[in-house]
Amino acid sequence: MEALQDIIGTALTEQRLRQNLASYATILDAIRKLRSLDLTDTHPAIVYDPLLPYREDPE
Amino acid sequence: MSVDLAFRPISVLSADICAGRLSAVALLDVMLDRIARLDPPLQSYLHLSAGARGTADAADRDIRDGRWRGPLHGIPIALKDNYLTEDMPTAAGTTAPGISFPLRDSAAARRLRDAGAVLLGKTRMHEFAWGTITPPTRNPWDVDYIPGGSSGGSGAAVAAGLCAGALGSDTGGSIRIPASFCGTVGLKPTFGRISRAGIVPHSWSLDHAGPLTRTVSDAAIMLEVLAGYDPADPGSLDHPVPDYAASLTAPVRGLRIAVCRNHFFGRNHPAVEQAVEEAIRWFSAQGAPVHDVTVPNLDYGLGAIFAIELASSTAYHDISLRHGRTEDYTADVRLLVELGRFVTGPDYLKAEQFRHVLMRDFRSVFSEADLVIGPTVPVTAPRVGETTVEVANGRESALAATWRLTYPYNLTGLPAISIPCGFDGTGLPIGLQIAARPFDEATLLRAAHAYEKAHDWKDRHPGV
Repeated sequence: MEALQDIIGTALTEQRLRQNLASYATILDAIRKLRSLDLTDTHPAIVYDPLLPYREDPE
Repeated sequence: MSVDLAFRPISVLSADICAGRLSAVALLDVMLDRIARLDPPLQSYLHLSAGARGTADAADRDIRDGRWRGPLHGIPIALKDNYLTEDMPTAAGTTAPGISFPLRDSAAARRLRDAGAVLLGKTRMHEFAWGTITPPTRNPWDVDYIPGGSSGGSGAAVAAGLCAGALGSDTGGSIRIPASFCGTVGLKPTFGRISRAGIVPHSWSLDHAGPLTRTVSDAAIMLEVLAGYDPADPGSLDHPVPDYAASLTAPVRGLRIAVCRNHFFGRNHPAVEQAVEEAIRWFSAQGAPVHDVTVPNLDYGLGAIFAIELASSTAYHDISLRHGRTEDYTADVRLLVELGRFVTGPDYLKAEQFRHVLMRDFRSVFSEADLVIGPTVPVTAPRVGETTVEVANGRESALAATWRLTYPYNLTGLPAISIPCGFDGTGLPIGLQIAARPFDEATLLRAAHAYEKAHDWKDRHPGV
């Protein structure tokens, strides 16, 4: 549990963390299904935009 | 008279105000009187503007002097509590100590003010837009039922005739779900169509801004004012804004309609399924060819939206988590904010990869269709406190059912609207959802308006 707390960066108590893990189980089922997809050649929908700061604050 | 005024569409109110037959102040007084009398059991409003009367007064003066600004001039509009406003506090639905937001206008609030709208007040929302219940707000059709969420206050206020229109925000269905449950129109436009600058973020790549109204033409009026590029919103897209109101009159004959038979059908309450099938038959009878499609990849959507929404929300609340402020959030929201820590980086990115796949799937659907039609929510509003709902073949978690049919259009960023299409056996409204190609809100509104005009759902109001 300590290692998990460290990896995910939380100061939650061990009891709270265990409760949260139990609550996460159904969500994890859905994420496991997503993990089963082979998307090796698919770019994420979010695309890095180097021009963004220039549009936010045009000079 | 006041009841008639309260439910009159913006298009009619606006014509009356412009012609001098109705004053903005008189209209505001009708709304304020109704809020005072009718809102205590509904609790749709969190805050009423002290400056609304001054704005309405100024609108009357300007219009008298020939300076009419357009169809929202003098019209009372409510804002969801996550839109920053310079003259009203914003709380994003939380009462947790140590959380505060600046007094400045969001881009949408500014656009409404510039159009002459009277910003009436802030409506209640599910805390941080992370839920579909919106306690303590109740459904105007029956106060034993929830209004939906997270824009539940906006849905209840519009349905009860406590404003002419309202703003909501939609990350997984938060405009369309309360619209469906409360029997209003709810429009989630294309991602990037309306600026989200100054809206308290929930999940940056899923959040959309949009209106809740009583008619489709009112949604068109509000969209036209709100739409447009804004460099202050990194997700905003520079795309021409058409004349949405003008597009409403075109016939639906010839529009090609797809019905996605997987995911959207088969697990709905029978009353919902029946009402939506009747609506589909109506479109077909108008000469809009209907064909069935399937999008098998929708089976993976739940994992994707959970990964993105949880991770994004937790990133946004990270400092509050670290300082222990989330302990004062409501239990359900606190849990969700904490759960985002379990989403791994690869899970998040895989979800973003998956969105690309789903967007391509829908592009393929739209190569042979102009619209996709189905239910907004599989059920009508659940009773307050009800954690499961009846769908075909048994009962299901209310939370899981509520957003199942709306989140696909957040993942894809496609425009989608919910319009009333009937009532269930207990008198609760049913929502029909129509989606279109990116930035084709004009076709969406055209089809929705044609359906609305041919039915009397919009003329039925809750007996609050």
